[in-house]
Amino acid sequence: MNARNRAMGSFRRGGQDSGGRALVICCIVSLVLFTMGIREGDSGLLHGVRSGATVVTTPVRVVGGALASPFVGLGNVFTNLTASQESLSDLKSQNEELQAKVTELSEAEQTATRLEGLLQLQNTYSLQSTAARIVSGSTDSWSTTVTIDKGSASGLAVGMPVSDSGGVIGQISACGPTSATVRLLADENSSVSAMLQASRAQGMLRGSADGTLKLDMIQTDLTVNVGDTVVTSGLGGVFPKGLPLGKVTSVNKPTGAIYYEIVVQPFTTAQSYEEVLVITSLTDDQKATSDDMSAADSQDSSTTASTTSAATSATTTSK
Amino acid sequence: MQVSDQNKESRTIGILALVCALLQLGIVPLFGIGDGRANLALVFAGLMAFMFGGRRGVLLAFLAGVFFDLTTTGPIGIMAFELPVMAFLLGSESRNRLIEDRTESLKEFALGSLAVGLVYGIVMLFLGQAGSLVDVVLLRVIPTFALTFVAFAAFAYFLSGGSSGGRARGPRRAGMRSGGRIRTKGL
Repeated sequence: MNARNRAMGSFRRGGQDSGGRALVICCIVSLVLFTMGIREGDSGLLHGVRSGATVVTTPVRVVGGALASPFVGLGNVFTNLTASQESLSDLKSQNEELQAKVTELSEAEQTATRLEGLLQLQNTYSLQSTAARIVSGSTDSWSTTVTIDKGSASGLAVGMPVSDSGGVIGQISACGPTSATVRLLADENSSVSAMLQASRAQGMLRGSADGTLKLDMIQTDLTVNVGDTVVTSGLGGVFPKGLPLGKVTSVNKPTGAIYYEIVVQPFTTAQSYEEVLVITSLTDDQKATSDDMSAADSQDSSTTASTTSAATSATTTSK
Repeated sequence: MQVSDQNKESRTIGILALVCALLQLGIVPLFGIGDGRANLALVFAGLMAFMFGGRRGVLLAFLAGVFFDLTTTGPIGIMAFELPVMAFLLGSESRNRLIEDRTESLKEFALGSLAVGLVYGIVMLFLGQAGSLVDVVLLRVIPTFALTFVAFAAFAYFLSGGSSGGRARGPRRAGMRSGGRIRTKGL
């Protein structure tokens, strides 16, 4: 009896349930959820629940995005204020109205320019795509994502590439019926098959925790210059070949390394809430050709050969 | 003697949950330090632990964790595991600590939220969602902690009536013990 009382006492302090049992149950349930989530992969019950949660919470995200939109135009207001500081003292009230109109019109102009850019991109690359709008940024610290206002009901699916007028911004990583989460290029877990436009050297463009993009797998015997444009290579069949990704901002050749350390500045950051294109399918001419694949293979095999050769020479030297 | 007003408590919990959820989804994405974003599920769990503690605090923290896991892109279940543990540890002493000893509550929440962030980061590292521990700590955990702590301090200040903080003394404390509750006016 005493033992039972002691056991109860561990759960109750001062006449109030301290939550020990609840804690144990919650921990077990959460571990089950975690295991189920890991085991079921990209589809399953929990991901269905997550999609449902996304649908329910999308309106709130949209409202948040709408709240952000005035801040996007705020830069224009400040620019106007500083540009006409003297005349503002005489024509203050009139100027306020004009500034409001200028802000509104410049927003409309920028929107028109972006849409025009998207159309141009769509036409240039003959993209089969669906237009969408970014409604929210990432709600946590562990991913660099944005939420767009279209989902599986509009024909979107996980894995589809997303671009804006400047080029590729990322790839859909989760898709609900009315919204989708896009993993941006800068995300630490993001990687895209890429190539240097000038030299056609192929590599992988990866995101990192500090937000920079790094182009890996480019051999040090190839020529890479600061300012070179990086485009999608089309290998893997996910991204259309030739879409712009960014520009090389630094090239480092570590002593004895096989690959360069290349940092790439993306053409677009998707920080503001703008329109995007989701590329829904690829035509044959947008996929990597067999020549591209064999070029990538030969690049790999030459790397292996140079590694073997380096290892052999190192062994010979040590002897 | 503390008089428990179940309806008032439920209303407070509901309103706080709604406010935190709306802020997490609508406003948090707009403000960040680097990649760091405030975690209002953590704030809610902390508030529930200090205000109510016990079984209710643990269960509400668990629900907050599930909400966080479902509305973010990380694995489901990690925050749902961590928040009840934190709520259990923070809320095991007594109720109403947010009013009675706000400074101490802030210190304990700071430690708790930092520990939650670190554990979450380490789990993400093991799951291959993050590259290095240094990046995890410098670029994710510390900015998240800073923003989350500021958010918690703001909530604590508001809920405790905007007083200067510290351990309540004299008539004010006596008032709390004779039925004074968390401020809900205006909620």
